[in-house]
Amino acid sequence: MIAPSTNRTITYTTDASQQQDYAALVEKHGSPLLVYSADILKRQYQSLNNALPDVDIYYAVKAHPNAAIINTIDELGGGFDIASAGEMDLLLEQKISGRRTIHTHPIKKDQEIRDALRFGATTFVVDNIDELKKLIPYKSRVGILLRLSFRSKNAKIDLSKKFGCDLLEAEEITLEAEKLGLHIKGFSFHVGSQCESPSKHVEAIEACHQLMLKLNNILKQPLSTLDIGGGFPADYSLSGFDIDAFCQPINDALQKLPRDWHLLAEPGRYLVAPSVTSITTISGKSLRHGIRWYYLDDGVYGSYSGQIFDHTNYPLQIPRTGETYPSIIAGPTCDSIDIVAEDIALPELQIGDLIIGLQMGAYTAATKTRFNSLPDAKFISI
Amino acid sequence: MSKFFKETLYDAVCQEFRVDKMYFENKTDHQHLMIFHNAQLGRVMTLDGVVQTTEADEFIYHEMMAHVPILAHGKAKRVLIIGGGDGGMLREVVKHRVEHVTQVEIDQAVVDMAKEYLPRHSNGAYDDPRLNLVIADGMDFVKSHAEHCINHEDEKFDIIISDSTDPIGPGEVLFSDNFYALAKNCLHDDGIMTTQNGVPFFQKDEIQNTYQRMGTQFSDIGFYVAPVPTYYGGFMTFAWGTNSKARDIKRASLRERFNAAKLGTRYYNPDIHKAAFALPQYIINAIDEVRSE
Ligand SMILES: Cc1ncc(COP(=O)(O)O)c(C=O)c1O
Repeated sequence: MIAPSTNRTITYTTDASQQQDYAALVEKHGSPLLVYSADILKRQYQSLNNALPDVDIYYAVKAHPNAAIINTIDELGGGFDIASAGEMDLLLEQKISGRRTIHTHPIKKDQEIRDALRFGATTFVVDNIDELKKLIPYKSRVGILLRLSFRSKNAKIDLSKKFGCDLLEAEEITLEAEKLGLHIKGFSFHVGSQCESPSKHVEAIEACHQLMLKLNNILKQPLSTLDIGGGFPADYSLSGFDIDAFCQPINDALQKLPRDWHLLAEPGRYLVAPSVTSITTISGKSLRHGIRWYYLDDGVYGSYSGQIFDHTNYPLQIPRTGETYPSIIAGPTCDSIDIVAEDIALPELQIGDLIIGLQMGAYTAATKTRFNSLPDAKFISI
Repeated sequence: MSKFFKETLYDAVCQEFRVDKMYFENKTDHQHLMIFHNAQLGRVMTLDGVVQTTEADEFIYHEMMAHVPILAHGKAKRVLIIGGGDGGMLREVVKHRVEHVTQVEIDQAVVDMAKEYLPRHSNGAYDDPRLNLVIADGMDFVKSHAEHCINHEDEKFDIIISDSTDPIGPGEVLFSDNFYALAKNCLHDDGIMTTQNGVPFFQKDEIQNTYQRMGTQFSDIGFYVAPVPTYYGGFMTFAWGTNSKARDIKRASLRERFNAAKLGTRYYNPDIHKAAFALPQYIINAIDEVRSE
C-alpha cells in the first residue's frame, strides 16, 4: 500500500518476515543502522551500463564515500570520480590505482594537484583560464577536461551555477590552452543532480558535439573525450523508474558522435541511493497539542542530513497500519529543525518500533554532522 | 587472477607490468609503496604509481650515477649520497677506494624494507664500515652540514649524488635553488655533484629547471644521459655540476682509473662515460630555450 504525502512516499507494512529481518539486524548490530546491499549496487551499475553501453562509468565517490561501496565498484571494474585528498585516501586504502580515477573538482590548490598526481590521477577538470594555468607545470603529464555549464530547471540540484563556462568561453579557453602548450582532451558537464528528464543531457551532448567538431578543425590536438557527468535520478517516489527509457535519448545523442571519442559519466546518486536502507528506532514519544511526536535515534544531523543539504525527502516505511493521527517524526538532537517528517498522518506507533528509510545511499551519511556528539549510524553490509 | 600494475605518470600513455608476486605493499601519509616480482624484470619497486627501480635494469642507473663523477674526479675520498634508500647507489659507490660515505635517507623504513625485499640492490653494502647512514631530511642535512663545514673544511665531500624521487613527490625540495646552494657548500672546490633528472623526452621542464637552478652554483653545469628501459621515454638525464674541469678528463686516464678500480660493470665503461655527455638535439634545444631567457 502506497500513500503519497507532501513530497514524500510513506508505505505502511505489517509484513512480518521483513519486520523480523530488520529487528534481527538491530538485535545484532544496534540502532541506528545503514544497511548496505552490494547486490543492489551491482544491479544498478549493470542497468546503467546496459542503458549506456558506450560510456565508461566513474562512480562519484562524494555520493557515499565508503570502503564497502568502493570495493563493489572496484569489483565491477568501474572507475572513480574524486574531488578531494580525502577521497583519494579512501581509494588508496582500498589499493585502487589512481589510473582508474578522474579528478573533477574545477578549483584546486597547487598542493592538491601535486597530491592528485602522486596518487596517480592524471585527468583534471578546469572551467576557467586561471585554473588552466595552474596545470602548466604539469602539462606533460595531465589530460584536461573543460567543464561547461548548462543550467537546468528540471534538476533538483543545479550543478551548473557554481561551476562551468559557457560555450563562447569554452572556445576561448580551448584555443588559449593550445597556445600555452596544454592539451584539453575534451569537455565535461554536469547538468544537475536528480534530473527529472534527460533533455538537458541531450542538449548538452549536442552542444558539446558541435563545438568539439568546430574546434577540431582548427586545433592541432583534437578534442576526443566527452564526460556527461551524473544526474541520473533515484526513485524516491518508489514508482518504478525506467533507466532504459531515461537513457534512450542520451544514447541516441551519443550515437551521433564520432565512434573513436571516449565517453564517460560520473554517476553517484543513481548507483548508490537504493543500495542503502536506514533503520532507526523510536526511542521516545509524546502527545503535544494534539500531535503525536515520535523521536528517532537518527535524524537530519545524521543519516537524514540529505533532507537539509540535498533537499530530498526519503521514502519511509512504517511498521503498523490502522487508524491514523496527525504526527511528526523527529530526530534525536536538541535542535528544533531536526525533524524527519511532519504534517503526516500515521497509525499509533510504539517505543521500540523501527522506522525504515529507503533509497538512503546517496548524499546521506556523506553529509552527516557530529552535532550533539551523537554516534553515527553503524554501516553494515548484507 | 593475475594483477597488473599500470604506471600513472602520464595521462595519454602508460606502461603496464604484470604483478607475479606481491612482496610488500605499504600506504602511509599519502604514500603508496609496492615491491613485486615481474617475470621479465625481477623485483620491481614502485612509489606513488611510478616505477623507481627494477632488478633487471637498475645497474644502468646506479653505475652511471656513481662511476661517472667518481672516476672523473679520480681521487674522491668522501662521498655523500642523498636518498638512494634501496642501496643500489651505495653498492656501486663502495666498490671504489673511497674513505668515507655518508648516506642521508629520510626514512629508516625504506632502508629496512629494501634490505629485506630488494637484497640484491645493496648486496651487503649497508654493512660497509666506511658508511655513516644518517636518517634525516636531505635538505636539513645539507643545511646543517654546510654550516659545520665552515670550520671543518676536511669534512666536505668530493662527490655528492642526489638519488631522489621525482619532483612531484617528496623529493621536491631536492630540486630547489636552496638545496643546490647548500649542497655546493658541502663540496670541496673540485667536488662534483650529480642528480637524477628524469626523462626529458616527456618532461623537458625538469632539465630546464635544473639547468637554471643548479647553473647559478657551478661553472660547469650540464647533463649526461643513459637509457634506463623501465624509465619509459628514452634517455634519462643526470645533471652534472662542478667548478672543476673534470668533464674534460682524457679517455686514457679514465681507462687507467677504470681498470684500476675493477668495478665489474655491465653498462659503464670509459667510452660510454665520454659518449654520455653527447646530448641529442632535442635536449640541447630544451636547454637553449632557457639559456637565452
Ligand atoms: C562533478 C560531479 N560529478 C558527479 C556528481 C554526481 O552526480 P549524481 O549523484 O547526480 O549522479 C556530482 C554531484 O554533485 C558532481 O558535482
